[in-house]
Amino acid sequence: MKKTALLGGLLAATCLAGTAQADKLDDIMASGTLRCAVVLDFPPMGSRDADNNPIGFDVDYCNDLAAALGVEAEIVETPFPDRIPALVSGRVDVGVASTSDTLERAKTAGFTIPYFAFTNVVLTREDAGVEGFDDLKGKTVGSVGGTYEGIQLEDNIKAWGDGDFRPYQSQADVFLALSQGQIDGTVVTSTVASSIVQSGKYDGLVIKGDAPYLPDYVALIALRQEYGLLNYLDLFINQQVRTGRYQELFDKWVGGEAPDLTVNKAYR
Amino acid sequence: MFTYTFQWRQAWQKIPLLLDGALVTLEIALLSMAMGVAFAVILAVARNSKSRWIYAPATVWVEVARNTPALFQIYMAHFGLGSFGIHLSPYIALLAGITFNNAGYLAETFRGALRAIPGTQLRAARSLGMPQTQAFRLVIMPQMFRIAFLPTTNQMVWAILMTSLGVTVGMNTDLAGVTQDINVRSFRTFEIFALAAVIYYLIAKAVTLGARLLARRMFRY
Amino acid sequence: MFETSMTLSDLMFLAKGAGMTIAVTFFAVTGGTVMGLLFGVIRAQISPWAALPLTFVLDVFRSVPLLIQLVLANAFQAIAGLNLPPFATSCIILALYTSAYCTEIVRGAIDAVPMVTRRAARSLGLSWGQDMTYVVFPMALRVALPSWIGLTLGVLKDSALVLWLGLIELLRSGQILVTRLQEPMFILLVVGLIYFLLSFPIARFGSQLEKRWREND
Repeated sequence: MKKTALLGGLLAATCLAGTAQADKLDDIMASGTLRCAVVLDFPPMGSRDADNNPIGFDVDYCNDLAAALGVEAEIVETPFPDRIPALVSGRVDVGVASTSDTLERAKTAGFTIPYFAFTNVVLTREDAGVEGFDDLKGKTVGSVGGTYEGIQLEDNIKAWGDGDFRPYQSQADVFLALSQGQIDGTVVTSTVASSIVQSGKYDGLVIKGDAPYLPDYVALIALRQEYGLLNYLDLFINQQVRTGRYQELFDKWVGGEAPDLTVNKAYR
Repeated sequence: MFTYTFQWRQAWQKIPLLLDGALVTLEIALLSMAMGVAFAVILAVARNSKSRWIYAPATVWVEVARNTPALFQIYMAHFGLGSFGIHLSPYIALLAGITFNNAGYLAETFRGALRAIPGTQLRAARSLGMPQTQAFRLVIMPQMFRIAFLPTTNQMVWAILMTSLGVTVGMNTDLAGVTQDINVRSFRTFEIFALAAVIYYLIAKAVTLGARLLARRMFRY
Repeated sequence: MFETSMTLSDLMFLAKGAGMTIAVTFFAVTGGTVMGLLFGVIRAQISPWAALPLTFVLDVFRSVPLLIQLVLANAFQAIAGLNLPPFATSCIILALYTSAYCTEIVRGAIDAVPMVTRRAARSLGLSWGQDMTYVVFPMALRVALPSWIGLTLGVLKDSALVLWLGLIELLRSGQILVTRLQEPMFILLVVGLIYFLLSFPIARFGSQLEKRWREND
């Protein structure tokens, strides 16, 4: 009798302590669902199949993460500019959304180690008269507002003092504007550019060389104060590379040698 | 409850940028109203026409403007027309979309106002020897504007609010565009949008007040 | 242009989006009307000075773009740790937005009932509640209903903005299809047509009602 009371007390104490200290990682495991913010107009990282279901590298990555946590994955479609708001507003637990790890953003959101890296290329139309990055000077260009390459392109246009920059709210709108001739060029990550050109959905789009930007390392994002979760995510990314799953997913969605995720001569 | 730390200093520094945006917002709203009123008068008259070829297009304009979302109309002006090779810049697409919308709503307002003016007045003016157009311009129109003035003011406030939809077609110089641009760089959503909301409120109030003073002078309300 | 790769399943996808539009509109209008009735009666009954705080708050909802309101509310609920899903946030903001306009309609309608009629009712021994229920309500309803129908239609169209919070309503589902099928004009026309089909019959019903009631006056 005494023993059961003691046990009950202990149990209650554990429960109380448990709820008092539950962090995001605990919440995810307790709720049984992992809500990932994924951008779905950004093939091959995220897009929709013929039945309008989400597919892509980021979708698979989220599913892997959910499996590792032993929970169900829920893909929440999030346009680029809405990724961090979605996170801060608690609509999603983790952003698996090709988020470049800029210092400005790290003031608001918590970043993991890189899980992917992009190079940027110039995407234009055959008849736009753009042969390389320098030809974008004086043209009307566009990109997704607030992205790594979008911010740099806007700054380029401002520095050139010539031409026009249009920030669109989604990658789809940028491609649509480019194919319609509303803009003459954009700077976009190479994987997305080649996937868009190969898909043949847009007539006349061509890649014209690299943009002279540093490699765009992208990371998973979680709330800044959720160290438990961020720790877990760092280890998860490391395991994905170590087990070869990273290369496997790269083969499936992009093809070739997966980009190196380490930076020479510096620790993270 | 609040784990978030507000960073107002960052947002305050952006006030000059936001005010520049506010000017563009006001400019688009005023232009769209000026053109909207002009089109609306034409539409209101056309809607009373006996000829099907005049009546039908005017009716389609009014019904589409009133029965589809403004966001849809602006998106259509940019991307819809774009697929025909008609390229409207975000500024023009936004202006066109709001003008289209304003004209549709104002046409109904003016039509209602026209109906409220007794038909005998026009006949009286004609019997005094005024030509039809002159009678319409000098007798009917002033009364129509007098009756329709308050609803028109409301539409002006609407036009200001609608300018915020330009961000969906790549607009980055108006108040909403500037706000979103700062937001996506810093991700201080609450702080920056709160400042924008205050500025929108002040513009709307200033316009309402200005219209009221104008009405007192013009119509001696 | 009439050759399209749009399939039946895509049309169902649009229908699902339209369902979301209707659901958001329904909750917003229901909530907004209940609040609007309450606020409208308060504003019509107490002195303008006493009602000033309420008037000011409601005025804010009519003077700030809905898009800004939605983004702000969504950021706020996150900061406050409310963890509301975007659907709930959208419905709450749209309901408050609706209530701001509905309050004006209700107040205008109550003011339209002649004071002498109400005094007559009260002098016959009707209580304030009875006066409101049996005299003011039926008369005010005729004034308010056409405007209320207009408001409902306005909310139906304004609900398109909830796509900003990630809800896949009618316009957003159209955009998703545009991304995949690359037929912007055709798909946008279909989307516009669906909005029109949702909105136009109600608009017609409203103006018929207005016409019929005017004849009886």
